[in-house]
Amino acid sequence: MSQLSLKRLEKSFNEAKIIKGIDLDVTEGQFVVFVGPSGCGKSTLLRMIAGLEDVTEGEISISGKVVNDLPPVERGIAMVFQSYALYPHMTVYENIAFPLRVEKLPKAELDKRVQAAAKVLQLEPRLQHRPGQLSGGQRQRVAIGRAIVRQPKIFLFDEPLSNLDAALRSEMRIELMELHKRLGSTMIYVTHDQVEAMTMADKIVVLDAGLISQVGSPLELYHRPDNLFVAGFIGSPRMNFMNGTVTSSNGTSLVIDLGTLGTLDLPRSSKIGAGQSVTVGIRPEHLKLGAGDFTLAITPRIIEHLGIHTVLYANLPAGENFIGLFEGDPKVEEAVAVEIGFALDQVHLFDQAGLAVY
Amino acid sequence: MSDVARTTEVAAADSPAIVKPRKRARSTKAMIDRYSWYELVGIYAGMALFLFFVLAPFIEGFLVSLKPLGLLFSTPYSFLPVNGSFDAYFTMWQSVPALGMHIFNSFFISSVVTLIVVIIVVPASYAFARFQFPGNGLMLAGFLAVNMFSGAVLLIPLFRLMRTLGLLNTYWAMIVPGAAFLIPSSIFLLRTYMMRIPKELDEAAWVDGASRLYTLRRVILPLAMPGIVVVAIMTFIGAYAQQFIFALTFNSKTEFMPLPVGLFAFFGKQEVVWNELMAASFVGILPVMIVIIFLQRYLVAGLTAGAVKQ
Repeated sequence: MSQLSLKRLEKSFNEAKIIKGIDLDVTEGQFVVFVGPSGCGKSTLLRMIAGLEDVTEGEISISGKVVNDLPPVERGIAMVFQSYALYPHMTVYENIAFPLRVEKLPKAELDKRVQAAAKVLQLEPRLQHRPGQLSGGQRQRVAIGRAIVRQPKIFLFDEPLSNLDAALRSEMRIELMELHKRLGSTMIYVTHDQVEAMTMADKIVVLDAGLISQVGSPLELYHRPDNLFVAGFIGSPRMNFMNGTVTSSNGTSLVIDLGTLGTLDLPRSSKIGAGQSVTVGIRPEHLKLGAGDFTLAITPRIIEHLGIHTVLYANLPAGENFIGLFEGDPKVEEAVAVEIGFALDQVHLFDQAGLAVY
Repeated sequence: MSDVARTTEVAAADSPAIVKPRKRARSTKAMIDRYSWYELVGIYAGMALFLFFVLAPFIEGFLVSLKPLGLLFSTPYSFLPVNGSFDAYFTMWQSVPALGMHIFNSFFISSVVTLIVVIIVVPASYAFARFQFPGNGLMLAGFLAVNMFSGAVLLIPLFRLMRTLGLLNTYWAMIVPGAAFLIPSSIFLLRTYMMRIPKELDEAAWVDGASRLYTLRRVILPLAMPGIVVVAIMTFIGAYAQQFIFALTFNSKTEFMPLPVGLFAFFGKQEVVWNELMAASFVGILPVMIVIIFLQRYLVAGLTAGAVKQ
């Protein structure tokens, strides 16, 4: 049974419509990630679930109960804020105990729960310190501690790692995933970082301009993106796109004219009429040096040597960016043309409206 | 500090045998805080000049309080108290027996005004800092407009108001207008301070189940303490300074008179007892000093450090 369900959810600020009708079901124990570019409404959506923003239209229900008009505490949620939002004048202990003090929990029970949370988050030696004396990662853990003492049904995270440096971020990512395993509660996590989404999520919800672009497991989104937006957003470095025109289709294959790059004969059963413009996508990591099913020549502008990978940045004749990612340290040089190819079964095709054609 | 150490090290490495790293007296200070001797002389000279202008009346007042009355009218005038003494500080209590009462009244009126202002201003500023409600901009502008009138302009309407309410010749006649004129600017001040407290703290408390009042009491109040103390000090000083005009107009009973009006008792029929008058003024300022020193301990800076990542 779904634990959280959103039905035709909408949100407007004055005239501006931020959330434009969202339907979503989350089952118990899932780790769901809302991902999207800045301003896509992901944080607003999370704040609506938390009860910090009113619902303009539609319905939010948690465990089968409509919670539109309930305050956060009665929804059974706890939230971790991007900025941590710790109370600077209280010790770590008091910060974690705050929700329980509000609840007026007996002292012994309160102490037991705070100690348990501190143990899980390895904050025991820090309990008597103030937030100002803690490092970024520790502050983040205090914020999480304040969320777990209430034993909520659903955890909400609003870009919790975006203030940490890169090394700490990947460390906290692992910690959060372990925490999810241990607690087994539902977690909803907002981020603009698709790497976080890919690594942590059971289910990714890609948002674009207030609408759900696609929902699926990380690998579903990676291998079968529904549209141009998801294809470009998921995957790093991002997918290469080439504009083309369909010249003929016969029910088993499409012939696509890519201009100066040549002609691509793609096995697709779809009947896109001749003359329609389409977009061909190929991920940088699916390119091979040397000839493939389709071969083209690029002149790298910049080369990044990462040891494990080598990344080529080039421009296509039409001016679009083109990125190639190759394993190891192959012999390539800046401003020297190389021949690269790819297999046809790795190609993504999108029609005029930007929808994927399989 | 480590930078300095490094530069000396580098310098030593560059010319190993010749130059010994010289010890510098000011080396513990950051580069930006270092001044050469003539800059320091200039800075202190400037401060001394400024302070002299500000403090000159007080210095002269204090010197007058030490002089015997005869010396005050000597020509040529002598600024230095020749055979001065603290006699005036003892005789003033006999010349004006109600002096202690006046000082207490001043202190009492200012304290009550401060208390009223703080009790009203804290929730009001919180509301203005956090809530969007129709007319909040208008109300703030209204408060600012009230501040543009000095109390003196409104004396006559205020007098009629006090008479209608039956407050003339009571402590309230000085307390109520005093508080009323000090509230608007305090709301402005504290509202700005509270707006600097991150809104996420309110939201976090709200998500954790705290009511607005609980949040105000447990989260906002402790964090706004430095701002509240500033408001309290400003209000206390303001109330002390402005009570003269209200006391003079709305009160004719000696037992309720605050110090500024009470000082008139030193104006005799024949002569003014200047030295005792000055002595009484200085003793009268003492409570203000004590209150400020007491409250200053709560002016802790950087209390919000670590609340949110900035």
